[in-house]
Amino acid sequence: MPPYKIPKRVKHRKEFRRVRDRKATKGNYVAFGDYGLQALEGCWLKSNQIEAGRIACQHYLKREGKIFIRVFPDKPVSKKPLETRMGKGKADVDYWAARVRAGTILYELAGVSEQRAKGALHRVAMKMPVRCRMVGRRIEV
Amino acid sequence: MSDGTPTLTAETRERTGSRYSKRLRDAGKLPAIVYGHGETPVAIALDHKEALSHFAKGEKVFSLSVGGKAQNVLLKDLGYDYLGNNIVHADFARVDLDERVDVRAHLHFVGNAKGLKKAGAILMKPITELELNCTVANLPDEIEVDISDLDVGDAIHAGEIKLPKSTMKLLNEPDAVVVQIVVQAEEEAEGEGAEVSDDAAQPAVIGEKKDDEDKDGE
Repeated sequence: MPPYKIPKRVKHRKEFRRVRDRKATKGNYVAFGDYGLQALEGCWLKSNQIEAGRIACQHYLKREGKIFIRVFPDKPVSKKPLETRMGKGKADVDYWAARVRAGTILYELAGVSEQRAKGALHRVAMKMPVRCRMVGRRIEV
Repeated sequence: MSDGTPTLTAETRERTGSRYSKRLRDAGKLPAIVYGHGETPVAIALDHKEALSHFAKGEKVFSLSVGGKAQNVLLKDLGYDYLGNNIVHADFARVDLDERVDVRAHLHFVGNAKGLKKAGAILMKPITELELNCTVANLPDEIEVDISDLDVGDAIHAGEIKLPKSTMKLLNEPDAVVVQIVVQAEEEAEGEGAEVSDDAAQPAVIGEKKDDEDKDGE
């Protein structure tokens, strides 16, 4: 079993890179927990970065509360080896990433106080490659 | 609904569209619309700070004064910006106070659950709002749910919650779990001690033939 999460089955082994700079229209509010960590910029969040955030949060909370990971690395990103000439086909998959847009909720926490959630999500934010902020549940009608 | 319908004062918007709405927001106003009861929809502008203070309390029914004419309205929808936190627009529907409407009432959990004193126990809230059918005059700002007797493994279902008025009708499934206390299973140390392998396994590709099968076919 790989150390980081990757999909079990995929339809295509490799995919195009596609446009990244867009804003989140879904997954941009706290849905499961009480507090969430929101990305303020777009990025491809690598599977090891997602795992690093989870571990940082669990170390801080010491099995208190529940953590929800709202993103999944389902995008294969390929990379050519060093000192290789261009061409000869698309390179092998280097890592798996989650597509994160500005506004995407990355993690959510339930069953912890605001103070503890703030401390935990600050630790997680340090592991993220983009600027993040802590958010609560929004007013629903 | 809290004692006395809160009053909101609004002015009509002559010009609509994103450009003019943005100018209103910059001036501390909240663009909104009033519709329903077979009348023409009216674009209005509210005071952003005042409106937000009412929305945050859970109030949904207002006496809206537009151009000196008051009417009862129900908050139907809120529009958020792309970060999902700032309210940029509000929808109001004209209502009569004795009219029955389908609304969602926020749940407020009170009391310290005895099951939460155990190590690893957490309070899960799969549902934070109840869907109700009630008259506009009886619309609650929030419904209190006492969780002080809740122990580990116990749950409160939607059908068990006492509604403030007997005329209110619950629209949720009565068996739906509203709140429960669960003990988290100890997570395996997977990932923490595991070494990062460069040669990670690759996922299976749907519909791809294996090399052996290709050779057999040839």
